[in-house]
Amino acid sequence: MLYMIGLGLAYPTDITVRGLEAVKKCKKVFLEAYTSILMAADKESLEQLYGKEVILADRELVESGSDKILEDAKDEDVAFLVVGDVFGATTHTDLVIRARELGIKVECIHNASVMNAVGACGLQLYKFGQAVSIVFFTDSWRPDSFYDKIMENRRIGLHTLLLLDIKVKEPDFKELMKGHLVYEPPRYMSVAQCCEELLEVEEKRKEGAYTPETPCVAVSRLGGATQAFKAATLKQLSEYDAGEPLHSVVMLGHQVHDLELEYLLEFSDDKEAFKAAVAKDQKLFEKEEKEEKTA
Amino acid sequence: MVNFTVDQIRALMDDVTNVRNMSVIAHVDHGKSTLTDSLVQRAGIISAGKAGEARYTDTRKDEQERGITIKSTAISLYAEMTDEDVKEIEGETNGNKFLINLIDSPGHVDFSSEVTAALRVTDGALVVVDTVEGVCVQTETVLRQSLGERIKPVLIINKVDRAILELQVDKEELYQTFLRTIESVNVVISTYQDQVLGDVQVYPYKGTVAFGSGLHGWAFTIREFATKYAKKFGVDRLKMMQRLWGDNYFNPKSKKWTNKGTDHNGQALERSFNMFVLDPIFKLINTIMNGKTEVARNMVEKLGIQLKGDEKDLEGKQLMKVVMRKFLPAADAMLEMIIIHLPSPVTAQKYRAELLYEGPKDDANCIAIKNCDPKADLMLYVSKMVPTSDKGRFYAFGRVFAGTVKSGMKVRIQGPNYVPGKKEDLFVKAIQRTVLMMGRFVEAIDDCPAGNIVGMVGIDQYLLKSGTLTTSESAYNLKVMKFSVSPVVEVAVDVKNGNDLPKLVEGLKRLSKSDPCVLCYMSPSGEHIVAATGELHLEVCLQDLEQDHAGVPLKVSPPVVSYRETVSTESSKVALSKSPNKHNRIYLKAQPMDAECALAIEDGKIDVRADVKVRARIMADDYGWDVSDARKIWCFGPDGQGPNVVVDQTKAVQYLNEIKDHVNAGFQWATKEGPVIGEQMRGIRYNMLDVTLHADAIHRGAGQIMPTMRRVTFAAMLLAEPKIQEPVFLVEVQCPENAIGGIYSVLNKKRGQIVSEEQRPGTPLFTVKAYLPVNESFGFNGELRQATGGQAFPQMIFDHWATMTGDVTDKTSKAGQIVFDTRKRRGLKEEVPGYEEYYDRL
Repeated sequence: MLYMIGLGLAYPTDITVRGLEAVKKCKKVFLEAYTSILMAADKESLEQLYGKEVILADRELVESGSDKILEDAKDEDVAFLVVGDVFGATTHTDLVIRARELGIKVECIHNASVMNAVGACGLQLYKFGQAVSIVFFTDSWRPDSFYDKIMENRRIGLHTLLLLDIKVKEPDFKELMKGHLVYEPPRYMSVAQCCEELLEVEEKRKEGAYTPETPCVAVSRLGGATQAFKAATLKQLSEYDAGEPLHSVVMLGHQVHDLELEYLLEFSDDKEAFKAAVAKDQKLFEKEEKEEKTA
Repeated sequence: MVNFTVDQIRALMDDVTNVRNMSVIAHVDHGKSTLTDSLVQRAGIISAGKAGEARYTDTRKDEQERGITIKSTAISLYAEMTDEDVKEIEGETNGNKFLINLIDSPGHVDFSSEVTAALRVTDGALVVVDTVEGVCVQTETVLRQSLGERIKPVLIINKVDRAILELQVDKEELYQTFLRTIESVNVVISTYQDQVLGDVQVYPYKGTVAFGSGLHGWAFTIREFATKYAKKFGVDRLKMMQRLWGDNYFNPKSKKWTNKGTDHNGQALERSFNMFVLDPIFKLINTIMNGKTEVARNMVEKLGIQLKGDEKDLEGKQLMKVVMRKFLPAADAMLEMIIIHLPSPVTAQKYRAELLYEGPKDDANCIAIKNCDPKADLMLYVSKMVPTSDKGRFYAFGRVFAGTVKSGMKVRIQGPNYVPGKKEDLFVKAIQRTVLMMGRFVEAIDDCPAGNIVGMVGIDQYLLKSGTLTTSESAYNLKVMKFSVSPVVEVAVDVKNGNDLPKLVEGLKRLSKSDPCVLCYMSPSGEHIVAATGELHLEVCLQDLEQDHAGVPLKVSPPVVSYRETVSTESSKVALSKSPNKHNRIYLKAQPMDAECALAIEDGKIDVRADVKVRARIMADDYGWDVSDARKIWCFGPDGQGPNVVVDQTKAVQYLNEIKDHVNAGFQWATKEGPVIGEQMRGIRYNMLDVTLHADAIHRGAGQIMPTMRRVTFAAMLLAEPKIQEPVFLVEVQCPENAIGGIYSVLNKKRGQIVSEEQRPGTPLFTVKAYLPVNESFGFNGELRQATGGQAFPQMIFDHWATMTGDVTDKTSKAGQIVFDTRKRRGLKEEVPGYEEYYDRL
């Protein structure tokens, strides 16, 4: 049996009771350690809690060496621990498919993920559109397809959850091409960097999906002890220091509910200014809507 | 007794119409350096007595010892012409003072890259051909190269003294020899001629051919004799020049010119060239050499040659040399040809600009190059690095094509991989000093305007071997040089003493910088590899490395050859690889690329960096590509410019553009080290048929796409009957008839293929041409010497890549054996991997 178990957001004890029971009866425990990190825990504290060894599974092991994980799951119980929820990061559907092919039973035990916990900022989960990832730009690689998705969301008034790139253990590709496997130091994208990239892409595309004045919410260390929110305009957030990782950003849709706004104001430095920004941003797509109605 | 000063030269640099940048090119041992001496002597740097022996431009100790040129050497010469001569110069001129920047280049085929670097910075070439040996393989190679760069040639037929003194030919025989040599040169010229350059064939009666002896320091052109005779016959000099060559005869009885070889009585007439040009020379030489010193003295006086003091007491050969040198100074003949017939930078850059510049023809920088404008933004091409006396530092040597380069000036240093608007391969640094390169010496100058050749201090750290310097932010690169030779022979080097390793690593860096063509890299198994164009080149490089650049004792492995990996058919099925997260899939098929197309990419006929539409048109018109396919070429590899391509044949795939870069990177990686033996791929076209991508950018980053592209490239290749290609030399051997049998038996033993065997008319020498696999060439010289009693001298030049027919997995075939050995040497698994290793099932 392969148990896919969500660990939640921050603490070792965020694991569900059923999850913990499953871990305790497993022969082997793998911890997926590259799509996210558990902010307030490390390998040792988990091992202490579970009372057994935890094997760190990096990208190579999960993506290229998954047979090793599945091999053990054929006859014994194996736990595959994922930070957040099991299917929060889409990559793990593949593991389930392969387990199915091998006739291995799979049981999933869910937990909280940024994709639902982000409701903590006061915005209604019902009103979120497609989530997008913002990647670290390089000199030659500056993908901007997220822009179209934000545009689609904002056209129909939905909020957009921006997940920020993290590179926990990425090989250095220049070295790899020379035949050496060298890992880059871990990097986590900050709110400020994300907002700068957003501004750069708007500057380039100029299609008006958002403006520097569009209201956003910076979400940092969600679910952790030092969890923090900041509501401000995109421009202001591009200069905001959100502190330790991990960070996320929510860009507001143009139909903000009164209750949503009231909740958000708590997180803004200048309430009147933020209100004004929200009001102004709501007009951005008004013209378009009118045109549609008349048509 | 230097008869000009640096200030004089610097002043002349501003008069660009009076500058000539020229290279001296020839087959090995045809006498370039010796002829150059005559010019240098004229400029007063070495004494007249030593000219012919000093080889001023052979600056290195081993060059002096071996008696061959290894590195090209530049020198600036100052010359004055008479008003009469100046009138005949086509194009603009200002006064009668001229500056000649001359580059003496190596003739041995292994050092062809030095010639390429020399040609880039010059506009004209003095082609030297040996009277006895005629046009040889390297003559043809360098001529082809110079015409490819739109460089105008003039010809000097050298070693005429040997024909007269050793072979004892008569006048008519000598004329016929000259004629044949000129004809063969013109055949080569007309074969490779560029339309834009117009007719650049050489004709004695137009003054573009000289004859002489570098060793004895004399040479002449028809023009010189025509000048002497024009007055006597009372005809125009140009007319006289026509008459002194070809089927023109003078009947001394009737005093009439005719183009028939006999007079009205059927009596044979003497050819005018023989009568008026060769006769005085033959007489003078023969008289002196036969010991009739008194008669000779009379002739000397009649010719108006002044002998000084102790020169009067000379006899025999010494006297002959002095007299001939005074009668027909070699420098005069050469200077006359160079100044009158070779173009100034102003003339040459007009037609060279479009060929030199990578950017659009109508942008400001290209126009500045066309106009040779010293006031425009700087455009300077660094063609090579010259070691300084300060160990480990180099002068960057190059040509200013536009603008003016100054000491202390801040410039953009653009390496060969620089792309306008990006930051890769770009530095902005100050030039510490600008210098004039003068053979063994350098002289500091403050600045150097467009059209001139210059050396620079302080930028060697920022350029690997060559590159563009500019002050314009929008400037494209000046085109990267393409070499006619490839580094196909390699050895692994290691230090004898472990502590010396850092010195070796540093030394390899320096070696790589100091030679345009040597390749230094680390193999996957961690060996330091030095790859060179041939055995001699390798020998020189290793010697430099051991004695100079690294300065530590070295262990050197036996030489091995580098191979290429290719395919012989289309992939038997579509190759599919999935990304590590399985959310992205690439479908690819490999097929062989037309051999001519691969070659055209390698030698730049298909310019990888050209505009896509222009390039696609050329590929469609000349190489049979479908034009819409050619426009969809995503990338070339390896190194972004190799003869393998990816063609996008996908339909309506979303986000495809965002993975282009990663596909490219993976493709570079795959083509650089193929799956068969870890060598570069060559001549493979990959068609990308379909791509499946994850909706979110983070799940299709470099980490997902790059390795996938590499795997699918390997899978597609292994599905297409992979083959290996080996490098093949063209061998040219000159020998007497009785040695031919020996040559054939050695060639047979070494998988050689005879291409042709010809007798050189008028000599007892035979020229045998053959293809010889580089792999078999080690020790070829020695065996040949043994089999022919030392009478045969081979010249080997890289000619082509030949696909080996054998199955790479079959150890009993030659190809299979090479694959097996190479894999073993590189520490790879012995078996060639199956396609399954890189293929994912759906």
